[in-house]
Amino acid sequence: MTEKDRPNQIKISCQNIRKVFIQKGKIQVHVLEDISLAVYRNEFVVILGPGQSGKTTLLRIIAGLEAPTAGRVLLDGQEVKGPGPDRGLVFQSYMLFPWRTVLGNVEMGPKLRGLPKESRRKSASHYLNLVGLAGYEKYYPHQLSGGMKQRVGIARAYANNPEVMLLDEPFGQLDAQTRYYMEKETVRIWETEKRTVIFVTNNIDEAIYLGDRIITLEGKLPGRMKAVYPVPLPRPREHTDLAFLNLRHEIIESSKLLL
Amino acid sequence: MAYEEVKIKKPLLLKILSLASITAFFGGWELIVGTGLVPSTMLAAPSSVFQLFLVKLTDPNPDGSVLAAHVWMSIQEAGIGYLLSLLIGLPLGLFMGWFTVVRGVFRPIFEIIRPIPPIAWIPLCIFWFGIELGGKVFIIWIGGVVPCVINAWAGVKMTNPTLIQMARTYGATDWQIFQKLCIPSALPMVFGALQITLAICWTNLVAAELLASDSGLGFLISMGRRLALPEMVVLGMVTVGIVGALIGLVIDVIEKRLLAGIRR
Amino acid sequence: MTADPKKPFPILPLIRNEFFLYVLSFVGFLFIWDWVAREQILGKSLAQPYDVVQELTRLLSVKLAGKDLLGHIWDSTRRVFIGFAIAAVFAVPLGLLMALNRYINALVKPVFDIFKPMPPIAWISIAILWFGIEEASKIFIILIGAFVPCLLNSYNGVRLIEPELYDVVRMLGGKRRDEIFHVSFPAAFPAIFSGLQISLSIAWTCVLAAELVSSRSGLGWIIIQGMRLTKPELVIGGMAIIALVAWLTSLLVSGLERLVCPWRREIGGL
Repeated sequence: MTEKDRPNQIKISCQNIRKVFIQKGKIQVHVLEDISLAVYRNEFVVILGPGQSGKTTLLRIIAGLEAPTAGRVLLDGQEVKGPGPDRGLVFQSYMLFPWRTVLGNVEMGPKLRGLPKESRRKSASHYLNLVGLAGYEKYYPHQLSGGMKQRVGIARAYANNPEVMLLDEPFGQLDAQTRYYMEKETVRIWETEKRTVIFVTNNIDEAIYLGDRIITLEGKLPGRMKAVYPVPLPRPREHTDLAFLNLRHEIIESSKLLL
Repeated sequence: MAYEEVKIKKPLLLKILSLASITAFFGGWELIVGTGLVPSTMLAAPSSVFQLFLVKLTDPNPDGSVLAAHVWMSIQEAGIGYLLSLLIGLPLGLFMGWFTVVRGVFRPIFEIIRPIPPIAWIPLCIFWFGIELGGKVFIIWIGGVVPCVINAWAGVKMTNPTLIQMARTYGATDWQIFQKLCIPSALPMVFGALQITLAICWTNLVAAELLASDSGLGFLISMGRRLALPEMVVLGMVTVGIVGALIGLVIDVIEKRLLAGIRR
Repeated sequence: MTADPKKPFPILPLIRNEFFLYVLSFVGFLFIWDWVAREQILGKSLAQPYDVVQELTRLLSVKLAGKDLLGHIWDSTRRVFIGFAIAAVFAVPLGLLMALNRYINALVKPVFDIFKPMPPIAWISIAILWFGIEEASKIFIILIGAFVPCLLNSYNGVRLIEPELYDVVRMLGGKRRDEIFHVSFPAAFPAIFSGLQISLSIAWTCVLAAELVSSRSGLGWIIIQGMRLTKPELVIGGMAIIALVAWLTSLLVSGLERLVCPWRREIGGL
């Protein structure tokens, strides 16, 4: 949890985030407590935790969709006060607009910002290409498989040119094969167009495969930070690599995470 | 880029608005008749409707029955028609959803009957049943049987195919699968049919009574018109609305009780 | 165990064939109808199918109360469309507004809830009191009948949108206005069209009821005439035509929906 001596390259900084949900009958759900972390520019950070550990809430707070009960989030030193195009969010359940084509979905961000049609189309096509869906422009979401839908989701977030990409268990609804494939694709896409990435998952192998650093959360509410693991392995990584397995073992032991 | 304002937008103000709206509605209604803006031959003020209500609690004149008798008659007709719709429509729909032979035999008839508005049957019914109970029950039934069949059928069609395959690997016969798998799976849709069938039955009841009856709420309404008594018309309409809503509530409660164990 | 060498005559698969049964059932239905009508089992109430067809074709050229069959069909259809159109034009936007704005909802919903459980047909008497037996009263009833489902469906169409879809718009940089135009409206279209279908079918019921009560033309009137003149061909013919035209108009709405909502996939219709 110590910040390195590269202070001017910190992209996102969370300072003592606490989140308490107050329901009408005063039943409080204490979801997050004392979360302080820093994410560096173009770093791929993975937040790892089992279900119900508050990680989605943390991501939503960084995204600006929820307000922290205490603490704040800084993006490039500026406090985050709400959602915005400088952060892109990829949802676990894709959340594509069913009434728009694939192209229509991807160009949604630029469209909302008022960019002219030509440059929108070009940008959208570029990102569809990047995620490997060139040629599917005219398809509707219901005609696509889960993996393809998520790729559209990623392209849509990317096409809006955000500085930070936030991904909320994006592969949770995919089968194992597709999931492996998407992990590889994610690394490829990220290495082609680098952004700062915060990736939330409950899958330890996924975390080690993808991240530069892994931040683990406690397994019970309120979610607190447990440990931070740098992952100095070179990419592309191998699940069966000794270093990979060692790290895996270390994380499991200290977190007592269920496989 | 501000945070979405906490969504508790002054609930008090909203309640006041609702109250004000209803008051304005009734007040305005009373006023436009009271001041003669709208002649009392065309519309009755809420106050005179209420007066008539009180009168009709005990006075069978001028239409022939006390209010309660009309309500009871309507409920009877609707109730019988409704139950018949359920008893015939639901099993039929379930069978049609699963058994090809049943579907093959009954579907053409169903598809022919379905687009005919139930009211269109009234002249035939008058011929067959006169203006007795039977005719109205028939109309209500023919309107109500349709959503029952459709919902039960859809419910069976929505049975999880994986479960069906699994049952087959255990050697279950068609009939067993139907009994033990399709019917339970279809229950949510079947319960969905209860409310919508009721609404349809109630609507058709009023129509049937308007045209071919000598008692009941629909009759009360048309009597009001014939006697040029708008209070009676409005009283009838309001009673129809209230009784319909109440029955709907009862069905809702029953449904919740029965579904307490079954999760979608 | 020896296998049975004789193959049973393949009538079983034939009986199991759905389409074959449909045809058989339909033909059987016609035969029973014809027989019941001919033997007057239900008295004079039914006419034989052939007679019905004959009468209807006759009406294509012969005038009944000043109009031929197409004229009557047009009268009924016209009333339906006018009432339905007015209802849709007002009810759909109102439903959307109510779902999007809490204040409008607080104002309108209570009054709407009072009127909602009243069957439209109950309004016939009031309508006649107010508008007489001319066109206006019929259109009024159709309007009332079509209003409720249109409003309810567009209202629910917006209310049942997944809230995360709004999150998407906000993350992409959209404002409240964008949320409404880019999510609320398009997401509600399928529900709106469902509402239109239901409204349309109610509209047909209402026009029929209105014409049965007091009218000088239209399909409902044809049915009543059949009753008065003891011409069961007219009664049944009227019923059949109404069913046919109502079905055709519903196809029109479906076609429109497919145009406007190309993303709607078929969920195994009945």
